[in-house]
Amino acid sequence: MGTRPDIPSGTLHMLILRTLARLGSMHGYGIAQHIQQTSDDVLQVEEGSLYPALQRMLLKGWVVADWRQSENNRRARFYQLTPEGRKQLTQELHDFDRVISAITRVIEAV
Amino acid sequence: MNELLRKLRMLFHRKQFENELDEELRHHLAMKAENQPGGAGELPFGNVALLKEESREVWTFVFWEQLAQDIRYGIRSMAASRLFTAMAVLSLALGIGANTTIYSVIDAVLLRALPVRQPEELVILNFRSKGDVPLVRSHWGSNYDVPGGGRVSPNLPYPALQLLNENNTVLTGLFGHAAASRLNLVVGGQAELGQGRYVSGDYFTVLGITPATGRLIGREDDQPGAPPVVVLTHDYWRSRFGADPSVQGRTVQINGKAFTIAGVAAPGFFGVSPDEKPSVFLPISTLGLVEVQRTATNFMTDDHYYWIELMGRRKPGVTLAQAETQLAGVFHNYVTDVAKTERERSDLPVLSLQPGGSGVDALRREYSKPLWVLMGMVGLILLIACANIANLLLARAASRRREMAVRLSLGAGRFRIVRQLLTESLMLALFGAVAGIGLAAAGIPLLISLMTNGVDEFTVKVGLDWHVLGFTLLVAVTTGVLFGLAPAIQATRVDVTPALKESRASGTGSRRHRLGLRQILVISQIALSLLLVVSASLFVRSLSRLHSVELGFNSENILLFNLDAGRAGYSKTGAKQLYANLERRFQGLPGVRAATTSDLPVVGGWASTTGITVPGIPQPPEGQRGPSTSVAEVGSTFFETMQLPVILGRAFQQQDGPGAAPVAVVNEVFAKKYFPGQNPIGRTFKLGGGDDNAMNVRIVGMARNARYNSLKREIPPVTYVPWAQTPDTRRLNEMFFELRTSSDALSLANTVRQIVHQAAPQVPVADITTQTRRIERTIHQERAFALLCAAFGGLALLMACVGLYGSMAYGVARRTSEIGIRMALGAQRRGVVWMVLREVLLLSIAGLAIGLAAVWQTTGVLKSLLFELKPTDPLALMASIVLLFLSALFAGYVPARRAARIDPMAALRHE
Repeated sequence: MGTRPDIPSGTLHMLILRTLARLGSMHGYGIAQHIQQTSDDVLQVEEGSLYPALQRMLLKGWVVADWRQSENNRRARFYQLTPEGRKQLTQELHDFDRVISAITRVIEAV
Repeated sequence: MNELLRKLRMLFHRKQFENELDEELRHHLAMKAENQPGGAGELPFGNVALLKEESREVWTFVFWEQLAQDIRYGIRSMAASRLFTAMAVLSLALGIGANTTIYSVIDAVLLRALPVRQPEELVILNFRSKGDVPLVRSHWGSNYDVPGGGRVSPNLPYPALQLLNENNTVLTGLFGHAAASRLNLVVGGQAELGQGRYVSGDYFTVLGITPATGRLIGREDDQPGAPPVVVLTHDYWRSRFGADPSVQGRTVQINGKAFTIAGVAAPGFFGVSPDEKPSVFLPISTLGLVEVQRTATNFMTDDHYYWIELMGRRKPGVTLAQAETQLAGVFHNYVTDVAKTERERSDLPVLSLQPGGSGVDALRREYSKPLWVLMGMVGLILLIACANIANLLLARAASRRREMAVRLSLGAGRFRIVRQLLTESLMLALFGAVAGIGLAAAGIPLLISLMTNGVDEFTVKVGLDWHVLGFTLLVAVTTGVLFGLAPAIQATRVDVTPALKESRASGTGSRRHRLGLRQILVISQIALSLLLVVSASLFVRSLSRLHSVELGFNSENILLFNLDAGRAGYSKTGAKQLYANLERRFQGLPGVRAATTSDLPVVGGWASTTGITVPGIPQPPEGQRGPSTSVAEVGSTFFETMQLPVILGRAFQQQDGPGAAPVAVVNEVFAKKYFPGQNPIGRTFKLGGGDDNAMNVRIVGMARNARYNSLKREIPPVTYVPWAQTPDTRRLNEMFFELRTSSDALSLANTVRQIVHQAAPQVPVADITTQTRRIERTIHQERAFALLCAAFGGLALLMACVGLYGSMAYGVARRTSEIGIRMALGAQRRGVVWMVLREVLLLSIAGLAIGLAAVWQTTGVLKSLLFELKPTDPLALMASIVLLFLSALFAGYVPARRAARIDPMAALRHE
């Protein structure tokens, strides 16, 4: 296994929010898996960052959590976006787009 | 729902939160194991404890929770090492207590603002001059020389008050005030002496003082011919009138004149001099009524009589410098107008301003230097205490290496551990501060009574207010960080693996040849305490020099008190009559061997000096000081009573009375100065320079040199004259009575009071004391200083020794096994002792050398506080060095002996 690039700082929240926006509701492990698979194994979310990040988002009120049966009949905590979380996602996506296109311009400028 | 609410809710569902987080992580692991079969155990999951900690931190008031945790932990570790805690808290309590005590006095005396409205706007008006101002023909008040040349005085002529009041653009108000001489206050037939202040009509309005009852002095009261009114201070109203609300309109006799009480000033208001405790405020216009002897000139119109003190209130937005420029301009025009001769114009007074928010500064000038020196000393003591505790903490840090290693390897951040150790230090400091405040509460009254020698003249309220407590808190936190930071950082600089492998008992490898933090701390402690011990021995030596000053007369068993009949309404002739009668009464009193009188107390800090004209000695050119003498007007039995030998000619006799030719007895200094190489007996000279009271006297005797007004001053030329012969126009108000008793002098005090009361009920007996105590009082500052410094020096010495002892004892304990091996290999016990003592010696010598250099640099500031002693007095230096060196050796010898007693077998088996 080669080294994986780290998830750029500041984007973890956005990735989680985007994942939840797509999946509706999901538990922590599912979120991590989804990010990893969608990114073709480039981005791997460490548990050490994932769970503190989820707690922070709960505190901010961007997500809510409830306990449900998971697909294989285990009790798991499922996270779901709140309207505030959706707003936050839009904001972060917007900011991210601007930054990325700015970076691209810088890199491609001759 | 906002974040804070969510956080708060979390506080109450802690258990549930933990459980849920646990379950979530278990779920995560299980899922992971299922999807990647075969390698579940090796899967990286990081540090679970840390992960949980971090997830939880999101929710909590991290800072406060960790603080609470640290405090709980701190209390546990304090409880675990009680001896250490007790030592640390005790030395901090002493250090912080001493600092709080001295600071509370500094705060009260030097820093505190007057209890008036917006004190920062107040300014004091002074005048500056090069020297004696020719324009000032008469000066009632004080002046002082400023460093760098020139003289400053707060006393100005009365016309300047009116002029500056009408012609200023920078003040919202200006008032004048002047100290009253001691006033004889009679209320309901009871006489009592009290302090008072003359105040101008704007005094209370400018200061913004309200009456507690009645009204205060206003402009209408401060007019010549206005009915005399008086305002009482709140304290006096309470003590003398029992806070009687109907006091307004009652009458007080002041120096025999009836005054109507207008009202009472607000509680806590003592005027503008923090060192005064006035009973009454009087309108300035009544000065002529109350103190006839002071008002030979017309005090309200004389441009050459400088006496009144002025204070003003700046307009908002006007700076001190702007105000000074404007007012000085007005004053300059005024004095230029007044000056008539070239000589008067040669040194015109220049008006200058100083901030007046803390009131007039006589007290500050007297105490400021000694107080700052004391503050410096207690500051150093606290530093020594800090070094002490830092040293103990270092020793403890070494023994907690394993604990630190365990915690670091479990993932605790270094900052987190430093923070926790610092919390422990701060807790120690705060405990020390609390105990220190307790000590200060006991120490402040002690210090005050020491500073004032029990004389009730010190009215500044010293106490533990928020100002002082804030200072204490600041000191505590600073010291906590100071002694805690270095050991905390060092404690966490642990190389985890070897530390974990170490057994509990063994310590680090020997590093005794390197100069560690520990050694540096010990050296600086010794250096600092040398500084303090030298200061202490300097002041003690200085005091003992003062005590061994030869008085020239016998001060034992003399009862001393004074009467002021003039103030009770007696005429000069009547007063003299009364004094003569009383003197005779006392001479016949059983238990009194001799009795006499004098117009000032001998060696009582009073002086009366006058110019003389001696035939054959030319008068100096105008403007320079001519020959002068100090004068004492005494009773005819003065020399016998005081046992002051007249070594040539005769003493005074009964017949040297009003009708006879005026005679004088001079001292040896006088004779040598004005009649060098000649027999002074039979010579005449004119006493009193050029003024109207001058009289020609014939010298009938020469007395041995005796101290005149102060132990600290050179004996001046002194002329003794019988007061019975001096003209009535001379200043003769009070009379001091000296009664030589056959046993304890003070036992006669009541008899004396009774006799005086029978003879003159309106004349109170004041300042009843013994001659010895009166002399003591003139050196009370030196005595208080020497005592305090000796105490502080001793404390510093003790702390340094404890520090050295602790450090060496710890070193020995750490090297137990090394010493055991050495002894097993044949080292002699003596060799072991020497090994330990060698370190003590090296540390002490280094500390003493540095301390000596510091002494050389700093004790110069003490020069002005010492009596006939150089700040580098070799005896004081040597004594201090020897004392400190011996104490250090002793402190080091105890652990050295313990090292020598180590049983090699036990030490080795211990490993």
